[in-house]
Amino acid sequence: MLYWKDSQEAVTAITGLFAGVANDPELGESMKKVNQLILFDYSESGPGCAIWVDTRNGKYEFGAGDPPGAPDLIMSLSADDAHLSWLNKLNPVMAITRKKIRVKGSATGLLKLAPKLKKVAVIYEQVLKELGMEDKIVK
Amino acid sequence: MKGNTGKIININLSTRSIAIETLPEEWYRLYIGGSGLAAKIFQERGDFSLDPLAPEAMLIFMNGPFAGLKLSGASRGSVAGCSPLTGHWGDSSCGGYFAPELRYCGFDGLVVTGRAAEPSLISIEGEQVTLLPAAQYWGRGTEEATRLLKEGFGKDSRSMMIGPAGENGVKFANIIHEGQNAAGRAGFGALMGAKNLKAVVVKARKKEMALADAEGYEILRGDLNGRINDALASSVLRENGTAANLIGGVYSGDVPVKNWTSNFWEEAAEALNGTTLTEKYLTRRTGCLYCGIACKRIVEVKEEPFAVPEGGGPEYETIVAFGTLLGSLDLAATCKASRLCNDSGVDTISCGATIAWAMEAFEKGDLTREDTGGLALHWGDMTAVLDILLPAIVKKEGKLGALLAEGSREAARRLGKGLDYTAQSKGLEAPMHDPRGGGYGLALTYAMSARGTCHVADPMLFIEMGARYYPEIGFEYILEPQSEKDKAAAAAVSVALGAIENSACFCQFADAEVTIPDWLALFKTVAGYEWDAEEFLRAGRRIFYLKRLINGRYGLSGKDDDLTPRMRAPGSGGEADGARFDLEKMKARFYEIMKIDPESGLPTKAALADCGMADELDKLTAECP
Repeated sequence: MLYWKDSQEAVTAITGLFAGVANDPELGESMKKVNQLILFDYSESGPGCAIWVDTRNGKYEFGAGDPPGAPDLIMSLSADDAHLSWLNKLNPVMAITRKKIRVKGSATGLLKLAPKLKKVAVIYEQVLKELGMEDKIVK
Repeated sequence: MKGNTGKIININLSTRSIAIETLPEEWYRLYIGGSGLAAKIFQERGDFSLDPLAPEAMLIFMNGPFAGLKLSGASRGSVAGCSPLTGHWGDSSCGGYFAPELRYCGFDGLVVTGRAAEPSLISIEGEQVTLLPAAQYWGRGTEEATRLLKEGFGKDSRSMMIGPAGENGVKFANIIHEGQNAAGRAGFGALMGAKNLKAVVVKARKKEMALADAEGYEILRGDLNGRINDALASSVLRENGTAANLIGGVYSGDVPVKNWTSNFWEEAAEALNGTTLTEKYLTRRTGCLYCGIACKRIVEVKEEPFAVPEGGGPEYETIVAFGTLLGSLDLAATCKASRLCNDSGVDTISCGATIAWAMEAFEKGDLTREDTGGLALHWGDMTAVLDILLPAIVKKEGKLGALLAEGSREAARRLGKGLDYTAQSKGLEAPMHDPRGGGYGLALTYAMSARGTCHVADPMLFIEMGARYYPEIGFEYILEPQSEKDKAAAAAVSVALGAIENSACFCQFADAEVTIPDWLALFKTVAGYEWDAEEFLRAGRRIFYLKRLINGRYGLSGKDDDLTPRMRAPGSGGEADGARFDLEKMKARFYEIMKIDPESGLPTKAALADCGMADELDKLTAECP
């Protein structure tokens, strides 16, 4: 991996991001509107390297590893590309077209979230700084 | 001949003569089919001095080589000729069921000339072609006329027809198929109306086709259908229709607002997107024959003031043209607009754009109450638009209806004001993608499109999004939408690919999954063409050049490859705020790459020789002053 020393580091940073999103009123509400159980499957970068977000029925829960049920949407990509995408440095349409991101399930929720990626990236940068991972920010 | 039938029908409505013609096989190999083959016929036989609505004017319906072959995306057909709206080359594509049915009858297309003495229809039943009176259908909307035709010709008959707008000569009248599919652009409904031709009805008796390699095609078809159906974009389109990603367009500044005066209206993202349409009004999904994507919508709006019974729903272009472009966020109004436009037979893009222009003209005082017959035109007043203005345009009623029925460019010319704030190129109103937000390359291909501003002339819109790349030919640009970098080079490939898509009559949504090797395999198994990628792209360039040569015969030149000041002004709001593209820079590079003379706008002899069509320039030189 280019950006992570191991998969656990990636999980720590990205679950930190989802915690940060929860604390942002606008993004938190936007996430709830997605109303899906989404699995971000980064396991190609290491066993157990996966994060789920559950926004079904007004919830906002997230965690690492196996999701609490059958996901409505699975996005499979490398932990490095996940890092770039949360930093808004990876065009998601292009990544999907070039098979860097494989999507299974309904992408309706993602379309709603795509315009928020810029704001998500700001939170992600802040989370990386708080975690002492500032060196991982790609400008 | 394999794949194509090789046969077209020539019909002269004035003399009532009907003749079956076998076209030279070479023309198919050079110009593929659809709008490309139509352009070749037009170039060979057209009279370029004619008024677009003159009886002698040609109206061409033309299939692609894959029509009827049970492949997702391949059931489209082209309508082409001299556009009544723009006065030069025009072509328009229509999905649905007509093209396969015509193919099953044993024909690739029909060329209609002349003017019938009375309202008429052309019936093609198997190989039997008949001209019939159609007074009982004249004056009726396309929904009712479709129903009546099915009662008369059988429910499995398929028709292309005009509504009252075409009968009345509205310059952006379209041709409607099955009440919902449209050969929408360039005003061919007006040409059909001028010919006193209400409909073309086809009904096949068999479904036999000869392919170069039927077994190979079946394997390829299975693979392609699977990939097209499983693609993420297909599932998004299936789930929420062509407006599924309107939300992304709003935030990128791609969705024009109030006659292109703004690039951002955040509330539209929720109010008008495909998910909202699904949740509020969708009753079922439908699509073109054999297509697994099924992007078309059937909707019902129960609440007034814009209630519409269950029927065809709006696509993205209509939702924006009768939504943000007119200053409205009323999704129900777009459903009603879609229904009324289809029933009347008007292009929703040109119609919405012309009304948007009129609203701005009224706001500026360029269009007065005297001009409007006392009607006040205000942004977002959809009751006035749907109850008063649209019917007036369809009937060309009153000063305002007659003025707007000419389209925005001609309306501005007649008014003597407001040409600068029309949104069009070469007289064709721009579709609902604003290049200041969507991508500067789109501005270039808008300007270069032979028929005028067009987002489906080529796949540039998708290329700039990142949704297309062609590694097999080294086309791997990573493009920044709001930049001129690499756009001319990308456009040079895009226009060739677009020419092939529109000549093969292939849907751009399905084509996203078709690679260059897939295309080569399609042409090989269906038609027996042993093309490599270079020969394939050469065919695309050839067709692109041919349409420019035709426009040259109408007097168009490099200066017509332009966009209006409104479209070239800096973007306003959101991501596109201040965005301004350098069209001249992109044009200069594009001309250079494509070997087009900047002044005449025509391909050079070297360019034509590269494509094996040097003789076409000689014809132009001989016939032009």
